[in-house]
Amino acid sequence: MGSQKRIAKELAELMESPPVGISVELADESNLYAWKVHLEGPENSPFAKGKFLIKLTLPTEYPFKPPTISFATKIYHPNVTNDDKGSMCLGMLRADEWKPSSRISAVLQFARQLLAEPMPDDAVEARIADTYKNNRSHYEEVARDWTRKYATE
Amino acid sequence: MNFEELCAMEAAYDRDEIVDLRSLDYVSSYDDHLMCPICHCPFIRPVRLQCDHVFCQKCLNSAITSCAGGRDEFTCPSCRSPTRDLYLHVPRLLINMCDDIRVKCPFSAEGCTEIIPRGHVQSHVEKYCGYRLVHCPSLVCDKKTRKKDLNADKRCMHELHQCSRCEEEVMEQDYEEHVQELCPSLKTTCPDCHTTVFRKALREHIETCPEAIHCCAASKYGCPVKVKRAELSTHEKSCPLITMGPYFEAQNSRLDSMELTVRHLQQRNELFEDGLAGIRSTLLESTRAMTGRTVTDPGPSNPPDDSSQADSANAASSNATTYLLSLHESLREEVGQLSHAVTDLDARASMAIMNECLRIKEDMAHTNAAVGSIRMQVQWLMNPRLHQQPQRAGMRNGNGNSESAAAGSSSAGPSGPSPGLLRPRRLSDGGREGTKL
Repeated sequence: MGSQKRIAKELAELMESPPVGISVELADESNLYAWKVHLEGPENSPFAKGKFLIKLTLPTEYPFKPPTISFATKIYHPNVTNDDKGSMCLGMLRADEWKPSSRISAVLQFARQLLAEPMPDDAVEARIADTYKNNRSHYEEVARDWTRKYATE
Repeated sequence: MNFEELCAMEAAYDRDEIVDLRSLDYVSSYDDHLMCPICHCPFIRPVRLQCDHVFCQKCLNSAITSCAGGRDEFTCPSCRSPTRDLYLHVPRLLINMCDDIRVKCPFSAEGCTEIIPRGHVQSHVEKYCGYRLVHCPSLVCDKKTRKKDLNADKRCMHELHQCSRCEEEVMEQDYEEHVQELCPSLKTTCPDCHTTVFRKALREHIETCPEAIHCCAASKYGCPVKVKRAELSTHEKSCPLITMGPYFEAQNSRLDSMELTVRHLQQRNELFEDGLAGIRSTLLESTRAMTGRTVTDPGPSNPPDDSSQADSANAASSNATTYLLSLHESLREEVGQLSHAVTDLDARASMAIMNECLRIKEDMAHTNAAVGSIRMQVQWLMNPRLHQQPQRAGMRNGNGNSESAAAGSSSAGPSGPSPGLLRPRRLSDGGREGTKL
């Protein structure tokens, strides 16, 4: 399978020289299609010092179909659903936006960037987006609170 | 060239290819630009699209087949510009650079150490590599053998032979290697105590070798001591960490159980908090709905065709009401402050007016007194004149008159007007009236 070779290559690259604040491993050594990603909350954001676990799932058609990422750690963010799935809405991961030439490393970096700069206009949690837009200090307070509660060991 | 021709060509290539170039072990590093964006390998038989993006032929093929919209709507996997044609003539430079990347021989696992440019791999494997696995020339044998091990007279080398020393069964092609290096009956020396043992017994020997260096049993608690096995027991008798060992174990298990309970409690706490948040949000919604109803009741109420719309309208109107209420409250406060200020000012003004009145009254009294004294003086001044008229009649009394005038001036005021003086004053008044008229 062509997809496995490319996934193995990307995994090796990410493990060898991981981007800032991101570390990846396989959830299960025998399955290349499910990854565990540890994401450190970016500095200068209310998620700083938090460690978020992300589950990254690759379709067998990768790279022709986009991967999906979901937060296993609870997070207060307009673009992450506040349920047990914690799925994140990334523009570049939509089926019609995805390009086979996009890399997982770029996806993860984009996700981390989204923590620092949420996109309330693309929100999946309308209430959080509302708070973010109208009452920024309250948003930051709650986000920091949740980070302390759920994302620190 | 269109996509159908590409597919046909791809199938033809697949048949006569020995080596899968994508699974090769690339030794030299190569530029990212030489990498197919789909498979992340250096381009293999690159083709170019209308938009000038280059892909491996095979990758592009699978991209087209997995494209949801079918061939007619295929877009470039890099820039997503719609494309219908592709070109095979990619710059020679690109192909040369890709073919020049060094790779390991695909049979390196079999022992081939060759490192060759990728472009030469096919011919290396086909003609020169001695480690390439080929089918056994014997028709009944289905095993594979290395090319260099092929017997000149094309005999099957997979027959089993028994080793004369260890009685193990070994294939003919591996026999030589076995006898020289691997046979367990060969002798070898222990790396620690340098005694000679049988190869098959070496493992057991190392387990018990008194010279082998071992860590202290308490090394997991931080004991840094590493001594030979013979001396280990004497050390372990005196090692403080070993005596502490059971205590550490007990503490560890206690910690573990504590952690477990803490995790349980955390989970329960989370559940409770979630419940609390749910209750809070329902409360908030209900209060919102109530305020919304009170606001919308007096007016013509919204038709309940769309509940969410009504909800949002309610929320908006309740927002407006609270805003107006707060505005009203602040205005009321302002008015209260203003009235305070006004009463204050009033009191101050009346105070000032009273003060001013008192002063003016005092002034008036002063003026009155002054007027009185002036009148007195005028009277006094008038007196001599009145007196002069009777005196002009008798000039002899002139001295005495001047004396009495001096006395009058010294005793200013109505001290002692003699009854005699009063009369002529009245006369003078009359006289004055006469002059006025």
